[in-house]
Amino acid sequence: MRPSLEISSLWMAFQLAGWSSPASLGAAESPASMESAGPAAEHQPLSAFQQQAALFHQKCARCHTVGRGDRVGPDLRGVTRRRDKEWLVGLILDPETVLESDPVARDLMKQFNGVRMENAGLTRSQAESLLEYIQTASEGPADEDGEPPEAAEEKLHTRISGPDEGFGTPALGLAGLGFLLVLSAFLWRSAGRPAALTVLVLAAGDAYWTLGGHRYHRLPGNHQGYQPVQPILFSHALHAGKLEISCLYCHHGAEKGPVAGVPAVQLCMNCHNVVKKPADAQKPSKELEKLLAVWEARKDAAPRSIEWVRVHRLPDFVFFDHQVHVQNRVQCQECHGPVETMERLRQASDLSMGWCVNCHRHRGGRPPTHWKRAEATLDCTACHL
Amino acid sequence: MNRYPEFKKDMKTLETEDARDGIRRRQFLEILASSFTAMSLSGCGFRPPKEKIIPYLEQPEDVLPGVAQGYASTCGCCPAACGMLVKCRDGRPIKLEGNPQHPLSHGGLCARGHAGLLDLYDSERLRGPLAHGLPSSWPLVDAEILRQLAGIREQNGPIRILSRTVTSPTLRQAIAEFSRVFPTTRHVTSDPVSSSAILEAHRRTHGERALPGYRFERAKVIVSFDADFLGTWISPVEFTRGWAQGRRLGLERSTVSWHVQCEARQSLTGGNADLRIPIRPSDLLAAVLDLGSRVARRLRFESGEKLLASGEPSAIPPETLDRIAERLVDHLGRSLVVSGSNDLDVQLAVNFINHLLNNYGNTLDLSQPSLQQEGNDEAWDALVSDMEEAKVSALILLDANPAYEHPRREAFRRGLAKVRLTLSLAPRKDETASLVGFVCPDHHFLESWGDAHPHLGVYSTAQPAVAPLFNTRAATESLLTWSGIPSTAYDFLRKYWRENLFPRQKRWEDFEAFWDNALHEGVTLIEEERLKPAAFNLQAMADLRPIRPPVAAGELELVVHPGIPLGDGRQANNPWLQELPDPITKVTWGNVASLSAASARSLGVVEGRIVEIAAGDRAVRLPVHIQPGMPPNVVAIALGYGRWAAGKIAANEPIRKMLPIERESPGGEDLYPFLGTPSVRITPTGQMAALAKTQTYDYQAPPGNGRPRPLAREATPEQAVPEAGPQPPGHSEDPAEGPALWPAHEYPGHRWAMAIDLNACTGCSACVVACQAENNIPVVGKAEIRKKRDMHWIRIDRYYSGSESNPEENPSVSFQPLLCQHCENAPCETVCPVLATLHSSEGLNMQVYNRCVGTRYCANNCPYKTRRFNWFDYAHNDLLQNLALNPDVTVRTRGIMEKCSFCAQRIAEAKARARSEGRRVVDGEVQPACVQSCPSAALVFGDIRDPRSRVARAATSGRAYALLSEVGTKPSITYLARVRDRGV
Repeated sequence: MRPSLEISSLWMAFQLAGWSSPASLGAAESPASMESAGPAAEHQPLSAFQQQAALFHQKCARCHTVGRGDRVGPDLRGVTRRRDKEWLVGLILDPETVLESDPVARDLMKQFNGVRMENAGLTRSQAESLLEYIQTASEGPADEDGEPPEAAEEKLHTRISGPDEGFGTPALGLAGLGFLLVLSAFLWRSAGRPAALTVLVLAAGDAYWTLGGHRYHRLPGNHQGYQPVQPILFSHALHAGKLEISCLYCHHGAEKGPVAGVPAVQLCMNCHNVVKKPADAQKPSKELEKLLAVWEARKDAAPRSIEWVRVHRLPDFVFFDHQVHVQNRVQCQECHGPVETMERLRQASDLSMGWCVNCHRHRGGRPPTHWKRAEATLDCTACHL
Repeated sequence: MNRYPEFKKDMKTLETEDARDGIRRRQFLEILASSFTAMSLSGCGFRPPKEKIIPYLEQPEDVLPGVAQGYASTCGCCPAACGMLVKCRDGRPIKLEGNPQHPLSHGGLCARGHAGLLDLYDSERLRGPLAHGLPSSWPLVDAEILRQLAGIREQNGPIRILSRTVTSPTLRQAIAEFSRVFPTTRHVTSDPVSSSAILEAHRRTHGERALPGYRFERAKVIVSFDADFLGTWISPVEFTRGWAQGRRLGLERSTVSWHVQCEARQSLTGGNADLRIPIRPSDLLAAVLDLGSRVARRLRFESGEKLLASGEPSAIPPETLDRIAERLVDHLGRSLVVSGSNDLDVQLAVNFINHLLNNYGNTLDLSQPSLQQEGNDEAWDALVSDMEEAKVSALILLDANPAYEHPRREAFRRGLAKVRLTLSLAPRKDETASLVGFVCPDHHFLESWGDAHPHLGVYSTAQPAVAPLFNTRAATESLLTWSGIPSTAYDFLRKYWRENLFPRQKRWEDFEAFWDNALHEGVTLIEEERLKPAAFNLQAMADLRPIRPPVAAGELELVVHPGIPLGDGRQANNPWLQELPDPITKVTWGNVASLSAASARSLGVVEGRIVEIAAGDRAVRLPVHIQPGMPPNVVAIALGYGRWAAGKIAANEPIRKMLPIERESPGGEDLYPFLGTPSVRITPTGQMAALAKTQTYDYQAPPGNGRPRPLAREATPEQAVPEAGPQPPGHSEDPAEGPALWPAHEYPGHRWAMAIDLNACTGCSACVVACQAENNIPVVGKAEIRKKRDMHWIRIDRYYSGSESNPEENPSVSFQPLLCQHCENAPCETVCPVLATLHSSEGLNMQVYNRCVGTRYCANNCPYKTRRFNWFDYAHNDLLQNLALNPDVTVRTRGIMEKCSFCAQRIAEAKARARSEGRRVVDGEVQPACVQSCPSAALVFGDIRDPRSRVARAATSGRAYALLSEVGTKPSITYLARVRDRGV
């Protein structure tokens, strides 16, 4: 922790010296708490349809779509018309038994590469509301979110901010520039040239920084753009983009705890037990072979897992909780960038404190409509424990 | 400067020298500054350290990185065997907590139990078996032991297994299996601090060698003769719970039990008593007999009175004894008399008094006795004599360290040399294990399967929370291997439960379900055949020997007792415990010779003077501590220190790298050779020692000058009844509400607050260690403590307040847990130049480590002195010990201020859990580590904005007050005044 700490003290000193960012003074205001719960405090009450949609997203969308084609499992558009309701409820509630006994289900499983449907642990009423959702969504246009399509599009890419945010306003920088120029002129007359020139140099630096320099430089500890080579050239563009596998299917820790986690090899094998090669190839790719080799060797005396290189890293004194953000419907891409377009994973945001706080107080305009709450806590203890 | 031409000359030389080197000082600074600026602005190549993420191959069920699991288990730190929950993160235990389901400990865990976690990560544990002092392997060691055992069996050589009390029925079964294979085996149990006399007394009076279950919660009058039942006696957590339950003051209740303590030293229990009477150890028996005869007289039981009449005047004033006897007789069947003495006569008399008061079957349960102390002093004596006479062929030290923890250890050592096969199962090369042939280290209790049977009818399980760190083996497995029936500890445990416990219950029909439940709950109640004690045998009282030899002139009576931090010393290598201040003396890292001020005066010594304490040919040197409340002519010293083979911490090696001029002074001294010695000679030496005390101000009302400050307030029972006017003394000092300097804070959601009931707090210090474990608080070492640089976030302040005549003679003792008060108008917040301490929207006073630059203004401005500064990078360089760090809390570095955070990480966790379940946080769901650990439930935490929460209700109590309210800080912590009934 020590290097980061020193850097942050430096950063602190820097801010106090004039680049005073409102972020650092945040707690002096009276922020609204995350816990000021109750429907009134909610940003936007959810309709029944939206609630059903949320459930579908949470439980089914890893494998199914409604009207957007087959994925790991079949497209569910119109399934409520094709099949008996009781049969569907039975399959949702107890897929293990139905897949063993029912010939229709068994055929479907065979058709979809033998991937077994998971038991999502739902209640009967939840299963029924899911079917209602599928029915409604099948009738409408192929939009499964219950949100206007442009909002869904917008939400993904609006919140990715550059390193400049949280670094003081241009007005402050310009005011500082003015002050330094006046001071320099004053010193020229009273104290002599060396002092005035020193201040002028400072003023030049200020001008450079304020008028655009800050876009090209970053503080130590900011690793935006970090894109290490991974031991297996895993493509998020293929899995999350083309195949539309939900982020939470692999990174399921994100909705259950603070750590999103890298999936266990076993989870990869849920699909790759069946998918042994790219669709257009005769034999497994080199990367897939690496995965299969790791899995084959799991029963060895000293099995080795895949040693992924960590991309996103926060300092040791910062405690980020994925669960809270996922539950408040912050989209993964808002922090991680358009991962579904990345062949090799890249750190899209600078993950600085100013960047975090910008979202927590949604500086600069309306909060995104898909958030469950408009305001997040600005308490230091939200992250620093 | 003109006055110092030499200086000017020097400057010149310096400059020319600089110039000679080709680069001037100023140039150097310029280059440094510009390169630093360039570096910080250029975003050049600062790549993150390459860190790896290695996922599971196959994810274990329910294990999620970053999410803690709790496993129910049993504490193995002492035979009290409290129920425990082990909190594990990423496959390793990081915190121990009491199991609220446990019928005896009820969620409490003592300081030593909490510190048991650090024993697991002790890098000085043995890493594998030893043969003749050298590392060996299990097959080799086993083969050699088996060969020798077989030889001994052929010759019918006696085999002895020596242990402390074994509470595990499975281990007892394994011993039985071993004894079947080797029929000459006998199991000897000996406890370092023995309760043998209690067991023996019950054998004589009730025909059963048993330790009764003490039910303090049912007693209205408690009279204790030197039994420190809240601190160290038998099962302190269980007793604290019961005692506190009998004294809990609610809105509906104003009567509490009345507790009298007659004792020969100032103990924790004495500090909590309503009436405390200091007596010398030699007066103890006479006092017990005198009280007994007065009770008998009031009950008109003349033969009993005659039996107890000692003819010796007791040291306690007769009117006081009469008052106690009167209250006892008024509460027949609802009183309890206990004694911690290991003197058979005292225990016989205590049994008789309890019999007279009809307490057996009410407050004393002999039908469901305690199995927590089974040591038999006579069996031990017989073993040592046998060994000295070379009548023992093999000695297996199961869980015992007699070369340290026994006064007759020299005889034991001599005997050990005459035993052919000696082997120890100690987890470390301790005092005894370094003398034996083979050491077969046992697992730590957090690594092994096990169980416990603390009371008849109560069974608890222990499960491993981590894979064994070293190449050790469970004691059960070792014994079974040598018995020729190798089995894993797990299989054997299950087998025992299946065959012995499962058939005795009716709730489950399937063993697997029964077993799963037992593991999940950690404790199982099983109906067992109860003991049927015989009627009281008056004959046993016939041969009391009340006349004691007088103490030789010039000698002081000696009291040697287990200390609160270290107990009997088995955990001496634990830094948390070594640094835990004794709640009475406030001394850390060692023991002291506690003397009354009068005795010190007559010896001509002052506090800190090193004295030599001698009896016969034994002598130790210890610093003097002046202890108010000590009876005259008595010296009291704690056990457990001075271990020479327990490890670096026990030997008091420095915690951090020290400067060459610094030196860590030696720790405590070993008093076991003096255990049982009635009196000692004390001679002052010429040396002084600075005691490492964490509190040096003892009085709320300093004698002589100074205005009394009612910090830890007390009330009489009449004042405490809420209806009768809610003003405990001291309230009148509070100023009226003045105008505030700062605008009030708004609390849109929760506002966290705590209430501390001083009437329930015993000062046991469990919270101190629990907080240390939860919040990664470093240990600083003795030298730093002396400089008042202790780091505990919560401390227990102990104050003496005056008795009428002389406060030093028998003061009343108050305990007050003090942690950051999370003031609404926090003085620390206003002085921080870098905004590193701020007020949160939920009322917490936040300390932001990454902002702190270490000005220490905040600590100077805190009226409660609860802020702690990291003067060094303390410890944390023991990699194994670092596994105990809580990953949810930042590890602080040098130059950082820190303090209690109300366990903000636990608040965050509870809020996240509530949110994911779509509900609000319920009252009692957030439990900071101190609140969770409290055996007497004296601490309550919650949202004070919720008027139904327990903390909000406590704040409206008539006993409620804010500490130093005259300063106007508006703390978030409410104290509830203690109620003490002096019985006058």
